[in-house]
Amino acid sequence: MAVTAVIAVSWVLIVLSMLVLGAYAVRHYYLGYSRMRLEHPRETNELVGFVMPRVTVFIPMHNEEKVARDVLQALVDCDYDWELLEVIPVNDRSTDGTRAIVDEFAGRYPFIKPYHRTEGVGGKPAALVEATELATGDIYLMFDADYVPGRAVLKMLTAPFVDPEIGAVMGRVVPHNIGDSLLSGLLSLERCAGYQSVQQARFNLGFTAQFGGTVGGVRAAALRAVGGWNPESLTEDTDLTFALLLNGWRTAYVNRAECYEEVPQDWAVRRRQLSRWVTGHTECLHNYWPDLLRARFLSRKEKTDALFLLAMYLTAPIIVIGWVASLVLFFIPEAHAVPVLPVAMLIIGYLLFSNQATFLEIGVATLLDGTRLRALLMPLSLLNFFANTGAICNALRKFYWNRFWGSGGDGWYKTHRTRMDAEGQSFGAGATPAGAAKQSVKGLYYASNEGMGD
Amino acid sequence: MAFLIFSAIFLAIFYLHFSLAHRAWLAIRGKQSSELDMGYVRLEDYFGQSFRRKLKHWLATLPAATNSTAGLRVYDHGKERIYVAPTVQYPGGRVEKEILVTEGAFACGPNCDFRNELMVKGDGDIGEGTSLQAIAADGALQLGEGVTVRRWVDAAGKLTIGADTAIHSRATSRTAIEFLPGAYAQSLFAPEIVTEGRNDDSIELSAGRGALVQVPHRAGETARAANGFDPAKLFSMGGGTYFYEGNLDVTAPLHLRAPLVVRGHFSCGKESLLESDVKAHGNITIGPASVVKGNLVADGNLVLKPDVYFQSLLQAGGEMRLSFGVRGLREKLPVAAHATRALTLESNIVINGKVSSAHRVIAISTPMAWLQSKKARA
Repeated sequence: MAVTAVIAVSWVLIVLSMLVLGAYAVRHYYLGYSRMRLEHPRETNELVGFVMPRVTVFIPMHNEEKVARDVLQALVDCDYDWELLEVIPVNDRSTDGTRAIVDEFAGRYPFIKPYHRTEGVGGKPAALVEATELATGDIYLMFDADYVPGRAVLKMLTAPFVDPEIGAVMGRVVPHNIGDSLLSGLLSLERCAGYQSVQQARFNLGFTAQFGGTVGGVRAAALRAVGGWNPESLTEDTDLTFALLLNGWRTAYVNRAECYEEVPQDWAVRRRQLSRWVTGHTECLHNYWPDLLRARFLSRKEKTDALFLLAMYLTAPIIVIGWVASLVLFFIPEAHAVPVLPVAMLIIGYLLFSNQATFLEIGVATLLDGTRLRALLMPLSLLNFFANTGAICNALRKFYWNRFWGSGGDGWYKTHRTRMDAEGQSFGAGATPAGAAKQSVKGLYYASNEGMGD
Repeated sequence: MAFLIFSAIFLAIFYLHFSLAHRAWLAIRGKQSSELDMGYVRLEDYFGQSFRRKLKHWLATLPAATNSTAGLRVYDHGKERIYVAPTVQYPGGRVEKEILVTEGAFACGPNCDFRNELMVKGDGDIGEGTSLQAIAADGALQLGEGVTVRRWVDAAGKLTIGADTAIHSRATSRTAIEFLPGAYAQSLFAPEIVTEGRNDDSIELSAGRGALVQVPHRAGETARAANGFDPAKLFSMGGGTYFYEGNLDVTAPLHLRAPLVVRGHFSCGKESLLESDVKAHGNITIGPASVVKGNLVADGNLVLKPDVYFQSLLQAGGEMRLSFGVRGLREKLPVAAHATRALTLESNIVINGKVSSAHRVIAISTPMAWLQSKKARA
């Protein structure tokens, strides 16, 4: 009797996990194929340089002396009109040389207005809450300190705000340290699929893109309308995306607004990064799902997509539950009475179907990016998959444990930087053009006149 | 036996699978990504300027000219040749396969074929029916009727694009572009873009003076449904932005005072004043003689009726039509209009900035222009 019950429960769990994961597989296929066929392109590239609001750029910093100089120099070199630009490096209780570097730049460029924080709750969201009070821009853009924006990125990020429905914008991050470790190589594939395929396809299909908190921005009026940053959230970016969505504001994605980032090179750093994302994201799921279902501004399709997005980390424990149930059935002789072949076909079919779905997204992204060599790394993504599944399950276990007992949970955690260059040398192949001359308004549209006539 | 064969095949596939991945990893190990061009800056006349720079570099670094006769210099650049001449005047029907640089004026008769780029340091005059690869001119440039340009056109002086001319990429000028009926291009950019039959006398701005519908209504006023506007469908999104559920077809002059998102089609009556941005999930139609100060974004088609004056940016997910007498101008920055499908420019249009389309920008002749020009002739 007990054995029969175990068999029945195992089957129910397997079927449920297959249904949930199958639904995600369909979604991945849909997005992958849509992107491959370049359907419904939505972009504002043709308006780049014509949308020039007053912009405030925030750079949250905590002990960033290795990287602060690069990001500040890159912003100085950007082709945005300095009259319309304000850069606020948010120095959050740094104990290294960050303050000196920031002050040195502020002394040279009047549009750099540092905010030095010496007390208060730590973490990026809390620092942003305070710094936002000083901002005068109509659009707030954000870059993490280890990011190096290209010269045109500010204009590209402001272009989507031509649309009054756009509350936030997200650019694309591109890992530069792809060959530093196998993990960074695999993460570059993950990022490539996440941005080039998924974000772009979702935006093209009319779903809201996800604001990632860096290489992105938000309309000041929209931010005020939703009550500002949520200092309690570990992922203030996801929180903001859904707060905006519930009020009718969309997030745009700009694939061409690319920016180099540094991805984790070892699994310990990656686990901690993932743990923060999982906790913050799942917190948002709990905070927003009832409102999402009731939202008057969203269609049924948009609500479904938003829920899929918020619940994505729950797929990891669902996979594990499916595995455990399969093992249980494997070791119970009575369970073998079930016709094996059709069931095995079903499971194998599902596995192929769902794995191919995510691989399709990676393949499409590498194809569009022209980085086909990197696509050959795909089989090794299995390592990433197993590591991610473990880390996500562990983070969810901690999250629900803390939630159940009402304890605080993890605090904000800054991802470890590994860049060794402290002398202000730009990194990446196409280094920022140091000391680039500021251009006149006319020079913003026409190339400098180097005609043959001189 | 079957098991052994199965195992061997499985192991072979398994090995191949991971050995390829391993080799890929060895190829990228220790390297940094170099896929981004960090110095990229978007410039509207990029093609023309890039060609000028390349040409200047080639002429400065290539070995001395050969076969030089009567002022003509010939440079060999790989499989290509560069001809440099003082001034050139070709008769009709000439076919030229090489890159041609003229240090003075250039003119050609009808039906010539230039299969490589042309650089003209003086004024250029291209005969009707001629086919070009691309052309850059430091002076004024006139493309005759029915010219085909396979790539781009860039001129420092005034650029005249003749009737029925086809430009398959961008056309830019630092002075002005005259775009005649039947001509098309992918994008036009100049301080002034003009279509046929320009008549500035007819411009008379009276928009907003007699506005019957205020959106949002003023504080203290009681709003009621009238003239196609139903206040019950208007909601605040916060941040001073409003959202209208369904179609908003205002039949009277409208005064829009805050950003508005319409989840349907949007249209407004003549002489409306739109001081803020409008986004419509459907089509947008702006009534005649209206003034548009905010940006207009339509997921569908966008139409500006005659004599609309816009000081902003226009974007359409479908087609766009700028009717007779439309003017686009704003302070400090140029205006821009972009459509995913065809963008049609009627007669008597003046735009200071850019018009572009993922499909094509086309100029058409409208009866109004014909009447206007007839009246002027009389």
